[in-house]
Amino acid sequence: MRRLIVRRLLQTVPMLFFVSIVCFILVKAAPGDPVRSFVTPNMHAADIERIRHNLGLDKPAYIQYFIWLKECLTGNFGYSLINHQPVLGQILDRLPATAGLMASAIALAVILAIPLGLLAGANRSRWVDKLVNMIAYIGISLPLFWLAILMVYFFSIKMHWLPSMGMRTIGTSSALDIIRHGILPCSVLAIGFLTVYVRYIRSSTISQLKEDYVQIQYAFGSNKRTILFRHVMKHVLLPIITLLGMSMGDLVAGAIVTETVFSWPGIGSLGMTAVRGMDYPVIMGITLFSSVLLILGNLLADILYGIVDPRIKSTR
Amino acid sequence: MRKYLSGVIILALLTMIVSACGSGDSSSSSSSNTGTSSDTTQTTDQPKDGGNLIIGVAADPVILNPNYAGDRVSLTIDQALYAPLFQVNNGKKTFYLADSLEPSADKLTYTLKLKSGLTWHDGEKLTADDVVFTIDKILDEKQNSMLRGNFIIGGKPIQAVKVDDTTVEFKLPQVSPAFEATLVQVTPIPKHIFENEADIEKSPKNNTPVGSGPFKFKEYKTGEYVTLDRFDNYFGGKPHLDSITYRISKDANASNLALQNGEINMKYVDPQDAATIESTGNFEMKNYSEGRLSYLIFNENSDTGLLAKKEVREALSYALNREELIQVAYTSPDYADPAKSFVTPDGLYHDNNVTTYDNDVNKAKELLQANGATGKKLRIIVSGGNKAQEAIALYVQQKLKDVGVEVEIQSMDASAYSTKFTDPKATDYELAVGGYIMGFDPDAYSILYTSGSDSNYTHYSDKEVDQLFTQGASEADDAKRGEIYKKLQEKIASDAVIYPIAYTKTIVAVDKKFGGLDEAVLKPVVIFEDPSKLYLK
Repeated sequence: MRRLIVRRLLQTVPMLFFVSIVCFILVKAAPGDPVRSFVTPNMHAADIERIRHNLGLDKPAYIQYFIWLKECLTGNFGYSLINHQPVLGQILDRLPATAGLMASAIALAVILAIPLGLLAGANRSRWVDKLVNMIAYIGISLPLFWLAILMVYFFSIKMHWLPSMGMRTIGTSSALDIIRHGILPCSVLAIGFLTVYVRYIRSSTISQLKEDYVQIQYAFGSNKRTILFRHVMKHVLLPIITLLGMSMGDLVAGAIVTETVFSWPGIGSLGMTAVRGMDYPVIMGITLFSSVLLILGNLLADILYGIVDPRIKSTR
Repeated sequence: MRKYLSGVIILALLTMIVSACGSGDSSSSSSSNTGTSSDTTQTTDQPKDGGNLIIGVAADPVILNPNYAGDRVSLTIDQALYAPLFQVNNGKKTFYLADSLEPSADKLTYTLKLKSGLTWHDGEKLTADDVVFTIDKILDEKQNSMLRGNFIIGGKPIQAVKVDDTTVEFKLPQVSPAFEATLVQVTPIPKHIFENEADIEKSPKNNTPVGSGPFKFKEYKTGEYVTLDRFDNYFGGKPHLDSITYRISKDANASNLALQNGEINMKYVDPQDAATIESTGNFEMKNYSEGRLSYLIFNENSDTGLLAKKEVREALSYALNREELIQVAYTSPDYADPAKSFVTPDGLYHDNNVTTYDNDVNKAKELLQANGATGKKLRIIVSGGNKAQEAIALYVQQKLKDVGVEVEIQSMDASAYSTKFTDPKATDYELAVGGYIMGFDPDAYSILYTSGSDSNYTHYSDKEVDQLFTQGASEADDAKRGEIYKKLQEKIASDAVIYPIAYTKTIVAVDKKFGGLDEAVLKPVVIFEDPSKLYLK
């Protein structure tokens, strides 16, 4: 097990290297110029060139990459081209907001998806299944930003139950206040995840119900509910670990659309500003950060798999 | 196995709770979300003290230091945080930190007198040293100031010299009537704070700015809001409001909802949304000129070379109708005034009585035929998602089709668009929709219309125009200078260098419970010139 972990961690290094190169090429290949994004027509050409030079943007792209890489290896992730603040600091500033929002949304989605998926799978083609399926299809088809605006309109403007934007009331900082502000964005995101998870669990339930051990349980006279929740569920939940591992990247990458609509001060909205301004140090920072977590999440999922399902460990 | 599972779930729940608490101390009070909610509807027009104004802004401020701020949000916040030396409205000066600005007889020296007893928010004295320091830092090549070029005249820098604590002399290398327009952009930054900073732009001290304006910095929560508190020693008198909060809300639809919900008291609104907001009856809608020209660019440098001919540009202009364009792009003539001159109405010597070619389809067809442009294809670039630009492009496409010219609309994302638009070598488009705000001195326009300038997006080149701009820049006699710029406006209009569409207006929706809007002076870009005058009714 330890060898596995060490090997996987070592594999991470070239992977991150590769990610950083691809990301850098994509940013540089995109049309647009970071300097142009803050040029105003009444700036003199000489000022533009001087600023470009001072920011090192007049050097060839590959040299810019190596300068960035060198700084990166010494733990300096650079400064934003837009506001000139350290990239790492900006990401860490916004991490709690994004991680909190995403973790609660994923947790909510999983908690709801498990019973719904099991019920739908066990009652295949009956009305419960059709209802769950319909909701899932609607959920997948709805653009989240639209759903978000709709929820704001109803819960904030019409009912005055919840605030429509931000993470806290201006000037206050209580946990309760933050949770109140988080309810709407968290629900919107949870609906997004839920629709995917439910369909996953449903199909997995259907295939598990055909397995021999289920038939044997029936033969022993167990009732359907016991079989479903005591035996089938355990097997169905295994793939959820993979899903959760994969969502580790989301924890830091954030949800650009939802964060923007709700003015949630997370990494998603930081990323959007960066992309618009061609701010490559920030884009690279966010990409690397979420890649690391995605890779670690997958590793963690694999380890958990081995613990939860010994059959897998023995085959390695 | 169930043990592990519940472990995972508990872990997830814990992360949720911990991260919620981690970002704020838990002093649980059931606070209402609406801040200053809309239940106070007394209408006494007497300025009262107290209250918080929440202004919705579309992005995080880039930098709270006026020497570097170039974006709308930073400029808006800086206006409340830092007092300018003086401001100019319709050619009239209003003095803030300055008491007077007098040119010498030869117009080569300007003497700036500061008010006495000025202080920074931290109590330090604001003196001539701060003004000189600010100018020196703008001129310092190692500091990335965007204003530097304006302080270089004929290759030589303007010098700022301290005479005594409240007097600064500016020595110009040559006569430059545009100097006042340059100085109006300068807002002093505190010397005692930034003196020892190698790179002021990167200095962490910008995160806790110390200014001289009516409101002082309180807190900035990234991605959430910036709050400023009243500065009691403001030289213009104690501000009425206790505080101003700039709330960051990037999504226009969502922030319009927040406005209606009372979570935001004031924000810019698009013409398309103005009617909806107004119909609630809770907001005063203020439209005012931005000093901005919205126009159609004729790229004379395009690879087809079609628009290099003046007659073709005339013909295209004849095919369009300015009133219809305004209706299509800005929904109502209330929100945009028809434009004919390249100088905006707030500019000195603005003259809208110039030659204009529009609304004559037959003339357009004739000219196109005569110049072999009928049946040709033109490409127009627009910034996708910009409603006004897209509407203009569609209108142009339809109108030019009527006169036998095909138009291909190339919609691109905002940064790709601005790169192409500002690239002097781009030859793969003929038309573009653009806009500019150049300030009140017409010398600023020289970089747009003189031969070979990097910002000459049309690539128009005319010796007479170049000459007139050079003369205008150094003509000290006001009447003569006016003549020069009148001539320029006529020349550029009759050459159909651009198709001026409209001088656009900004629409600001303000909650009716706030007063003092006129005293605070609505101003392009920064919304209010002097927010100390705003009050809660």
